[in-house]
Amino acid sequence: MSIEPITGRYLTVTIGGTPHRIYFEEAGQSRPVLCLHTAGADTRQWRHLMNDASVTATHRLIAFDMPWHGKSLPPEGFETEEYLLTTEAYIETVLAVIDGLALDRPILAGCSMGGRIALQLAALHADRFSGFIAIEASDFQPAWYDIDWFHRPDAHGGEMGAALVSANISPFAPLVERWNTLWMFMQSGPGVFRGDLSFYTRDDSLIGRLAMIDTTKTPVHLIVGAYDLTCTPEDAARTARAIPGATLSVMDELGHFPMSEHPQGFRPFFLDGLAKMARGTDQAGQAA
Amino acid sequence: MIDIFRGIQRDLDGAAHLQRLGRLFSETVLIEVDGREVYLTFDKGRIEAVVEGPSRKTPWRFALRTDAEALGKFWEPIPAPGFHDIFGLVKIGRARIDGDILTLVKNLRFFKDVLALGRQTKEVAA
Repeated sequence: MSIEPITGRYLTVTIGGTPHRIYFEEAGQSRPVLCLHTAGADTRQWRHLMNDASVTATHRLIAFDMPWHGKSLPPEGFETEEYLLTTEAYIETVLAVIDGLALDRPILAGCSMGGRIALQLAALHADRFSGFIAIEASDFQPAWYDIDWFHRPDAHGGEMGAALVSANISPFAPLVERWNTLWMFMQSGPGVFRGDLSFYTRDDSLIGRLAMIDTTKTPVHLIVGAYDLTCTPEDAARTARAIPGATLSVMDELGHFPMSEHPQGFRPFFLDGLAKMARGTDQAGQAA
Repeated sequence: MIDIFRGIQRDLDGAAHLQRLGRLFSETVLIEVDGREVYLTFDKGRIEAVVEGPSRKTPWRFALRTDAEALGKFWEPIPAPGFHDIFGLVKIGRARIDGDILTLVKNLRFFKDVLALGRQTKEVAA
């Protein structure tokens, strides 16, 4: 028998004028790291790092389920609403959670759409953070599929979504974690993956904002897996080049969900990313 | 190559969980490799027939067109990036999917897992 150190609680915040009950988990102490899950998934993607004592001895990892995801309910009236995530709502959500939990300039670590919004926040709200780890993140990715496939009355969107994203998982990933990763997509609520992909594949506003990011104040480190078909190493490299001072690591044996699909393979890259998150302006100039 | 598809047919006969996934899948799929056609006729999650082309008379629901080298790399035990998934082959320009893609997507896990059976078939053949 074992009991994990992760604890889960609920936080109610107002987003877009509407109360939202947000589920969050945390583990560890000291410097806060706010972790953002990918599209169509939830906080469970971060559980391996939250159970890693060498990470949590010096960092307080906090992850939350976005509204409509995991154990966070959709807002009142969702039954008549089409879920379509926007950059504005996503930013408001992340900032509301930071305020709600009274986090003081956390590191922001996000994967996929979470990495995209991390870079948006690096451009627009850098003063609220002390650094950014953008995983499988790029400036923009137009869809190479039809996002409407994943919300239809005649088929199971979760199963189709899982089958699609399995293309982004490395063959080096342990089978058990490959399937645990896919299970989250299979469980995703109707239309949620589609609504996330709407943000991810249609909003290209980050492209023009990358040059606004000041890595002398808040370091930015990108991490990308070679088996990621959605955000390829070339996509991440293009994005990193557009951010003066940003750094990039390529993981040869990982895919689009590294912290979830292959925790042991991802661990050294995440630790390296944390080490690059120099504190505040006293470390200015060292991000490159 | 036809031997690998016959191996897949055989392995699928022994894979109850895949037959369950594909129980609503009864379609003909064209696999075209370097212009050579193979028609896989599925019936309720099993491959009823593996027939070599060319054929102008065989209707198919969707087609995967690729080349032998790419398919060989796809069937490696640990494929290189891009060669690890049929959509990866498409993305790197080594395959094309034609026809009723929605039917493929509705049965995507089944079809991908069936095609991946070629990895074990190929290992046995080697």
